Amino acid sequence: MPKHDTPLLDQLESGPWPSFVTDMKRMAEKKPEVYDILGQLELSFKDRITHWKHGGIVGVFGYGGGIVGRYSDVPQQFPGVEHFHTVRLNQPASKYYSTENLRAICDLWDKYGSGMTNLHGSTGDLVLLGTRTENLEPLFWDLTHDLGQDLGGSGSNLRTPSCCLGQSRCEWACYDTQEVCYALTMHYQDEIHRPAFPYKFKFKFSGCPNDCVAAIARSDFALIGTWKDDIRIDQAAVKEYMAGNYPANGGSHSGRDWGAFDIRKEVLDLCPTGCMWMEGDELKIDNSECTRCMHCINVMPRALRPGTEMGATVCIGAKAPILDGAQFGTMVIPFVKVDKENDFQDVIDIIENVWDWWMEVGKNRERVGETMQRVGLPTFLEVMGIEPTPQHVKEPRSNPYVFWKEEEVEGGFERDIKEFRKRNAM
Amino acid sequence: MALSKEELKEAMIQKAEKAPKPQLYVKDFYKCDPDAKPRMIKNIANELVREGKLMFWSSGSTTMYAVPSRIKDEEGDEGIN
Repeated sequence: MPKHDTPLLDQLESGPWPSFVTDMKRMAEKKPEVYDILGQLELSFKDRITHWKHGGIVGVFGYGGGIVGRYSDVPQQFPGVEHFHTVRLNQPASKYYSTENLRAICDLWDKYGSGMTNLHGSTGDLVLLGTRTENLEPLFWDLTHDLGQDLGGSGSNLRTPSCCLGQSRCEWACYDTQEVCYALTMHYQDEIHRPAFPYKFKFKFSGCPNDCVAAIARSDFALIGTWKDDIRIDQAAVKEYMAGNYPANGGSHSGRDWGAFDIRKEVLDLCPTGCMWMEGDELKIDNSECTRCMHCINVMPRALRPGTEMGATVCIGAKAPILDGAQFGTMVIPFVKVDKENDFQDVIDIIENVWDWWMEVGKNRERVGETMQRVGLPTFLEVMGIEPTPQHVKEPRSNPYVFWKEEEVEGGFERDIKEFRKRNAM
Repeated sequence: MALSKEELKEAMIQKAEKAPKPQLYVKDFYKCDPDAKPRMIKNIANELVREGKLMFWSSGSTTMYAVPSRIKDEEGDEGIN
């Protein structure tokens, strides 16, 4: 396959940062069809329009996801990218893979595809870019039989679930994110591999409110670890931080001199609910006001730890579309037990309750967060059978009546004002 | 009155054959039996795919269902290429 002149793309190599153009030119020496990717991209820059068309009937037998069809609309000019389908592989939980496994995937992709990869896609999958339709079935056979791996989700399927490192490495994880991620991936194989919903649906599992997989921003169903009881305090360690014997933030900002550690400036005054104070040299926390922001724990990890009654908060409805703007998940269930003993049934019950409603009420191509927005949170909570709590209200102290219906209020919303004023003078 | 499974399968194939567009969302099949649960409709649609009476069609972002002969008439055997 011949090289194409790519003056516009070449400019992208002139900056100080690493360039994908350089990567692709290197790959093209081994896989000449990659010259056609560069050529087509150059043409797109020139024409100011994409020359990819996507979709169609590609896939592997029995699966309605995991492969995204892509074709060139100028195949005569660039025959190497006439077919250029994307393959999504389900990544291991927390993305723990060995170099041996990565080499095997790369060898597989050198054999059946362009050799180009994207690790990781936004859902977390290992994304393999560019293959022909006739290579899909042999690739799938080798992937499942030799590597013991499977395709991930795409289209209106359940997307590949993803999770943080959880208890494998993190002392703050309030539940075993890897275990839940694996268990639900296996439990919902049909939903991952075949279309099930009005539109895509994503699970993400974070072990603590630091939310290292950004579940609250990127998933329709975010399970974020939390605790019910009090933050554990080691007062002796607090004193060590104040004396400057322990580095704040685990030493992560130690690259320059920030001066002596100031617990008031760096912890107490930054608490979003102001629920911390010092009594003498003892740190006190009003845990009933704590919003689990993790700031104090992050700053003084040797002195403060999450409580011992652990579980998770469920947030539903996040999305990050390019056109409409991003939307965070809405906190729906403040605390749920995440229990392996009962096969995570409490979590599964919530998921399926949401699905049953959304599959019926959701419009085509409407994310669950959009459906929630359309019907309103009070209606959503009602159909989910969830009792409203103050945490559901954005400003509970300024608007406590949002969930009341007329029939729930004694005397309704209509009343005799004169009669009322006799008892309650202005 | 809910349809039997076989009746529902037949109704879904009819729907897919007669719909103005060859590609259908799973939700488009709900009307075949308003008494059936959406999950049941989804499972039957997937069963019809396994039987080769329907097939998956991807728009790139959404996966839809189609009768194989209709979609191939429109796109050719090689898909939209």
